[in-house]
Amino acid sequence: MKSLSIRNLSKTYFDPYAGKHVTAVQAVSLDVPEGEFVCVVGPSGCGKTTILNMIAGFIPLSGGEIVVDGRSVSGPGPDRGVVFQSHALFPWKTVLENVAFGPKMRGVPLADREAIAREYLALAGLAHAADRYPNELSGGMQQRVGVARALANQPAVLLMDEPFASVDAQTRMTLQEELTRIWQERRPTIIFITHDVPEAVFLANRVVVLSKGRVLKEIDIDLPRPRVWDALIEDERFKTLSAQVLQLVRSA
Amino acid sequence: MIAAENPFARVWGAYLRLIARFPSVGQIVPFLPLIALWALVVELGVFPRAFFPGPVDVVQSFITLTWKGILPAYLEDSVVRLLVGAAVGIAVGIPLGLLVGLSSKAHKALWPILLFFQAIGDIAWLPLLIIWFGFGLQTMTFVIVYTVLFPVVLNTVLGVRSIPLELHRAGRSLGAPPWRIVTEIVVPGALPNIITGLRNGLGYGWRALIAAEMIVGTSGIGFLMFDSRRAGSVVEILLGMIVLGLLWYAVDALILAPLERATGQRWGLVAR
Repeated sequence: MKSLSIRNLSKTYFDPYAGKHVTAVQAVSLDVPEGEFVCVVGPSGCGKTTILNMIAGFIPLSGGEIVVDGRSVSGPGPDRGVVFQSHALFPWKTVLENVAFGPKMRGVPLADREAIAREYLALAGLAHAADRYPNELSGGMQQRVGVARALANQPAVLLMDEPFASVDAQTRMTLQEELTRIWQERRPTIIFITHDVPEAVFLANRVVVLSKGRVLKEIDIDLPRPRVWDALIEDERFKTLSAQVLQLVRSA
Repeated sequence: MIAAENPFARVWGAYLRLIARFPSVGQIVPFLPLIALWALVVELGVFPRAFFPGPVDVVQSFITLTWKGILPAYLEDSVVRLLVGAAVGIAVGIPLGLLVGLSSKAHKALWPILLFFQAIGDIAWLPLLIIWFGFGLQTMTFVIVYTVLFPVVLNTVLGVRSIPLELHRAGRSLGAPPWRIVTEIVVPGALPNIITGLRNGLGYGWRALIAAEMIVGTSGIGFLMFDSRRAGSVVEILLGMIVLGLLWYAVDALILAPLERATGQRWGLVAR
């Protein structure tokens, strides 16, 4: 069974400044089998965030269908966990309470949901930060909490919207390596939006290049795992794949 | 270390260390020069003593009125009125603010009305209220509730609308139903603004209450001051003014400031 299936997806909206309808996404179809790690890349305005917002159920579709775990998407739901670029942690909740939020909404008793939260915090390497507030953490730690919070709800699909775009370059590389480690341990289905080509190639099993609201090309990334930057940065296959994707993105 | 050689800087440094250790000292010391100046002007006999009594006279009057039980009784009346007004204002204002902040329909329907009636200040209602309710508690209660209500409502709306869209989305994609979004995200997210609304509302309310007590009251600190004017007792008027200031100081230090420290400041939502 497929974890996520997108059929003929489209999105048009009325631009009041231009005074006309604009097509952001047209006829996009995509299948993501259970446990796959897909990165969607494309230049600004290619519709990648719009697609993610439709999968998450934040904005309505203009046409087509999104099916997650056999159910058609209409509105947000706990089967699709989201990691935001702006981390979107609840400032008035501790790190532990943030991660336990999903289980709390499912009615999991306090002791059980705290155990779940501690498990996922440990997975994200943040066991020591459980009782701190989000504003006391660095940007990298905030994003780790965001990942742990989404995973603690055990979603069918994990949607990530440029989650590492606003952290410094060194932290970003560490976060990327950690995400591949977590993916290998837990095998969540991930759709990861980014405009950073090396990031997409480093993380994904498959890179989807988007252009002007359409799928330009899908490229399988057959690099071995575990992936670490020290090894891949000089790897010929990585360089070739990155160059290939970059060329597509620039032509887009 | 040039500063250390300056005697004033050394005294100032010692003072800073003292108030770091005993914060309450820093609340009192700034008033000492003011009181000294007041006492000096009185001792110099610039104004007749009956028109401009000194600190000692005010303290004596404080002791006398407390001994007779007048001051505690009037203080209690004023504080209870403020608390009742605050309670009603909060009980109505916060839910109304949440509704107007969350529902664009309610916002479109009610926002212009809220702005309009906010502009008609508390005291401006007094002539009408005196005709409707007469000189008494109902009129004062109306004024205080009215005054507390609007800052609470308007700030709650502001707080609700300032919560980032991402937090709503995060809550919904983590499985929170709408009512849980309100209790888990909207209320805590708006809380720093709600507290600001309370601070403003209680501040305006306190002033409005004193004014209302002067005009329609038969008890309370405002009545005490206005009644003293009739008796020509400047010392009791000054006492009333000092009590007003002290009481607000206490409300701020004991209720509002701790609330702010426990919420917005702790969460990093407002600068310290």
